[in-house]
Amino acid sequence: MNAMVIFGLLAILMLTGMPISISLGLTVLTFLFTMTQVPLESVALKLFTGIEKFEIMAIPFFILAGNFLTHGGVAKRMINFATSMVGHWYGGLGLAGVLACALFAAVSGSSPATVVAIGSILLPAMVKAGFPNKFGAGVISTSGALGILIPPSIVMVMYSVATNTSVGALFMAGVIPGLALAATLGGVTWYRARKFNYPRQPKATWGERWKAFRASVWGLLLIVVVMGGIYTGIFTPTEAAAMSAVYAFICAVFIYRDLGMKDVPKVLLNSANMSAMLLYIITNAVLFSFIMTNENIPQALADWMLGNGLGMITFLLAVNVILLLAGNFMEPSSIVLIFAPILFPVAIALGIHPVHFGILMVVNMEVGMCHPPVGLNLYVASGITKMGITELTVAVWPWLLSMLCFLMVVTYWPGLSLWLPQQLGML
Amino acid sequence: MINKALNHLEELLVTFLMGAATLIIFVSVAHRYMAGVDIPGLQDWLLTLDFGWAQELCIIMFVWMAKFGAAYGVRTGIHVGVDVLINRLDDRMRGKFIVFGLLAGATFTGIVATLGAHFVWENGAHYAFFKFLGMEMGDLYEGPTTPDLEWPTWIVYSAIPLGSSLMCFRFLQVCVSFIRTGELPHHDHGHVDGLEEEVPPTDVDFYGMDDNLHMHDLKHPMVGDRRSGEDRRHEAGEKPDGERRHDERRKGDEGDQP
Repeated sequence: MNAMVIFGLLAILMLTGMPISISLGLTVLTFLFTMTQVPLESVALKLFTGIEKFEIMAIPFFILAGNFLTHGGVAKRMINFATSMVGHWYGGLGLAGVLACALFAAVSGSSPATVVAIGSILLPAMVKAGFPNKFGAGVISTSGALGILIPPSIVMVMYSVATNTSVGALFMAGVIPGLALAATLGGVTWYRARKFNYPRQPKATWGERWKAFRASVWGLLLIVVVMGGIYTGIFTPTEAAAMSAVYAFICAVFIYRDLGMKDVPKVLLNSANMSAMLLYIITNAVLFSFIMTNENIPQALADWMLGNGLGMITFLLAVNVILLLAGNFMEPSSIVLIFAPILFPVAIALGIHPVHFGILMVVNMEVGMCHPPVGLNLYVASGITKMGITELTVAVWPWLLSMLCFLMVVTYWPGLSLWLPQQLGML
Repeated sequence: MINKALNHLEELLVTFLMGAATLIIFVSVAHRYMAGVDIPGLQDWLLTLDFGWAQELCIIMFVWMAKFGAAYGVRTGIHVGVDVLINRLDDRMRGKFIVFGLLAGATFTGIVATLGAHFVWENGAHYAFFKFLGMEMGDLYEGPTTPDLEWPTWIVYSAIPLGSSLMCFRFLQVCVSFIRTGELPHHDHGHVDGLEEEVPPTDVDFYGMDDNLHMHDLKHPMVGDRRSGEDRRHEAGEKPDGERRHDERRKGDEGDQP
């Protein structure tokens, strides 16, 4: 009963269009004032302590690093490197786009940032090279989604905050599915380019490839800093995030010089703006899940699922459907913060591995970012290409379809996500 | 005038906290590894320094940044919501929902500010003020301190009442200006054009795009799809209200230039 009231109220408040954080907070307050005896002071305290965890602080750092890299010439050099490697195959620049997105995803933790960084440089180049606008937009808006699957990833940090799963293990678990998804998207690109006979680039010599690699090596080193640092235990994930922010700053300002010192405060302010928005959602989502746990809702749901004999297969299917539906209304961070605490106990009760469940959610979020009405990637791509959203929706479908198939594979094949962290002894 | 100063102060504080927290963590990590390297003199000096407080300070700074940044976010219109439905409503209805949403924001932050202020007062601020003023303290509670820095927690926690009051003020401010002009702060209107250049502008904001995560004000047309009603009017050769007004304004702007 209480559960129905809480969710009903939350849904109604959300649909009026107020910020998600506010609707979460108001739901909690209404509930507290009318239905429970939880002292209000503890709520005020929770507002502060809700984000008083060092792990959460990785989010602002990763955002800052990403924002420095978006303007640093890192993206441009990665594109050059990718083009020199795969540009001569079918799909040429499109394939290079997938590879560049995968590379950039390994230094950035956000999908729309990847689309901005790669798309704003590559899309005009693709049109110039003779690709239809539609093809380029489709490739980049879907490959950009790799940003949250290939570590570092802000959504994974959110998941670990919501469920107390290890960030390091999640990051490692994202590597193989990320590469597999990149290969899938690349395959679709290659197939379609061959079918429609799109232009190819001249084959680069090994000398040119080496030169392109040398130019992009500073950006690529960041992957080593983050992943190597976390894996060897030199840094905690949050420290790695802070190091990558400082490294990205040095890269952008001193090595590639795409950013002047005078731009730095702007980047800082902009990153602070974005992170504060996300942290504010986290604060209120923590309050919300505090209420949920207090009312034993996840536990009741788990008991109900088990009592009705619903197995793992049905549950995972239901999770996918629920998350895909939620993807029509909300952006990934909010979905993870609201749904993970509810679904996680059920998943554990059914014997699903926490890390596998996390990767499943992240891939789900990726799909949500690539279709309307709220797909952030689409809107960013629409901003770059000046294409309408309807047109873009048509443009992305071949890739989106392959992504959905990939989601099914990730859902029912835990080994794909769990193998690497297990080999590394992180689980 | 005062408002402008407040805006600047807010931006400065948020920018500073972001940059400083990053530096502190960087320095503390660098210190941890440099202290292990055997360089005569330098190592001894480094070993005398203690960065055990760095994590705690970083958390405090980020919490302050989050509270004041959230208030700044109201001013820049960055907070995401579920706006799929209301963005399909006609202008008048949408206007009502927008005002409702903004007032709800003001209510929530107002309540939180009050709760937070009460909490801070009971947990040490009361004691500190009375002590400062040299007044009779009776059996007032001195309040706890933070574990590493040993700062009184009430100072740290005062981010809640201060930040939330500022946020409440921002919501009201945005609400008033929306009722007056029909405009919401939403910094993407120019930005989407900015992406035409090869390098994205320094403050491109992918949470600020014209998506269905933010409320649409009455002045600007949507960048993505036009709503179906407007589409039809558009085909009939008539521009949607918002766009027409926007065009007129632009014309006005151009007219001012010599």
